[in-house]
Amino acid sequence: MTGATLVVGVGRSDRGDDGVGPAVVQLVASRLPGESGVRILAQEDPTALLDLWGGHDHVVVVDAVVTGDAAGTIHRFDVGAEAPPLPAGVRAQVAQAGTHAIGLGTAVELGRALHRLPARVVVLGVEAGCLDIGTALSSPVADSVEAAAALVWKELAADVPG
Amino acid sequence: MNHKLTDGGHVMHVGSLARVEGEGAMHIEVRDGRVADVQLQIYEPPRFYEAFLRGRAWTEPPDITARICGICPVAYQMSACWAIEDACGVSVPEAIRLMRRLLYCGEWIESHALHVFLLHAPDFLGYDGAVELAADHPSVVETGLRLKKAGNRLMTVVGGRSIHPINVRVGGFHRMPRVSELRALRPILEQALDDALATVRLVSGFDFPDMEQPYEYVALRPEVGYPIEAGRVVTSLGNDFEVGDFPEHVAEFQVSHSHALHARLDGGARGPYVVGPLARYTLNHDRLGEPAREAAREAGLGQVCRNPFRSIVVRAVELVEAVTEALRIVDGWSDGVSPSVPVPPRAGEGFGASEAPRGILFHRYVLDEDGIIRDAQIVPPTSQNQAGIEADLRALVETWTDLDDHALQHRCEHAIRNYDPCISCATHFLDLTVDRS
Repeated sequence: MTGATLVVGVGRSDRGDDGVGPAVVQLVASRLPGESGVRILAQEDPTALLDLWGGHDHVVVVDAVVTGDAAGTIHRFDVGAEAPPLPAGVRAQVAQAGTHAIGLGTAVELGRALHRLPARVVVLGVEAGCLDIGTALSSPVADSVEAAAALVWKELAADVPG
Repeated sequence: MNHKLTDGGHVMHVGSLARVEGEGAMHIEVRDGRVADVQLQIYEPPRFYEAFLRGRAWTEPPDITARICGICPVAYQMSACWAIEDACGVSVPEAIRLMRRLLYCGEWIESHALHVFLLHAPDFLGYDGAVELAADHPSVVETGLRLKKAGNRLMTVVGGRSIHPINVRVGGFHRMPRVSELRALRPILEQALDDALATVRLVSGFDFPDMEQPYEYVALRPEVGYPIEAGRVVTSLGNDFEVGDFPEHVAEFQVSHSHALHARLDGGARGPYVVGPLARYTLNHDRLGEPAREAAREAGLGQVCRNPFRSIVVRAVELVEAVTEALRIVDGWSDGVSPSVPVPPRAGEGFGASEAPRGILFHRYVLDEDGIIRDAQIVPPTSQNQAGIEADLRALVETWTDLDDHALQHRCEHAIRNYDPCISCATHFLDLTVDRS
């Protein structure tokens, strides 16, 4: 195990479906073998990724997104340095569900512009339904947590010894 | 969205205002070259917090209200602590006030760096956003990120984590950071001071539209030092009152186009009032430490700054002040200070205010004899600045009627960002509508 893989759930757990990222990575963490070497974090501030992912060459980010699809729909974006830049429209979509002016999409493209983007970064975006403060995950999003965790696991398959 | 009206008017509608904290909407109507109406529509939820604070224990507001904002949680925690301690008749020792100031410096550094470099500087340098700015000027953005990281680091050491700190409690802190932990921050803060001074030099070279606004400025003014964590309320027209008298002077009222209450000072006869960096600087420039005062002088700031576009320069000067203050407190700290004092509950009303990065944040709580909150009031700075923002837009749009809609939208967004509006708890989107004839 190289220890070079990072999994980050971005979002606020007390803001409805914005908490799906932390919920998914918590589930993934509970199933990881003790010595997997995979680093798993929850983070509210997307700009923190610019430092967090330093030294990692494979990063999986789970965040809520708003694209207009049904709540709970899971999107997959390849956004690493080896992938083409996010189009501005997609960048806005990926950023939109967050609570900060600098969203995940902007953090990714800042990383690319500053040569601070790991080679492989996969964003798993879970379509949000409700972002109200003080609410828990909506039913469709809560139901998608298991599937999203399975997709994270699939991304990690090559990094975690079976 | 843009469309002509049947009466010759013109409507511009922008789906989302970029680079502000949160979402809302703006509507402008222009008829015969005159601005007929300006509405800044904000959907800000502190009212919900006020409602569900009722029935909670007196010890809970610092943690509950911190969740209102991911950018300025310390402001909420500090104003809440002051207000609860006031209600309970408790004064905290000077060391606890100092540690609160240190934590608050971290928030100012983090918040101002984010706004100056990633949100506002692209307006002045002709970029659509931070990503485009970073592509051409990576060292500029790296400076901002380094400053923001320094603020985050300070908040983590003092507050336990960089967003929504967990170390704050009514009466003080759960634990005091050790001298060794604070001294370890010194190299980071020394770099931050260099970066902050470079920031002042950078932003003071920007081009600023000519604009002078006559608003009454309102800021805190402590007995010593620049206002951050506490102070009395002073205004640019010579008014001066205790934080406890804030409700007698500031009245909130509802407007149909915003979920955030507007506020008027002393009945509103003197027009809009403004809180935030320009007010703080104008009313307290004599309180800046020497490095910040010298930086302000070199930046060409006089004793009064009435151009909202120059708020970016004042924020940069305040970065210097916050870092300088952090270094001063770190250097003077000693171990062995009790982290908190007891705050037993009693029936009463308490008031607290502090200077959030965007201006005065006021809290008021009414407790019963068991410390249960019976009433709560929170007046955030962005709510207070709504009328000023609308008045700025009204004045500016009339001078910009020759601009096409795209350029006008950009300029309007720039003008709104002068105030670094913090509506990040909202879940609606900020739309811009311009209606011209």
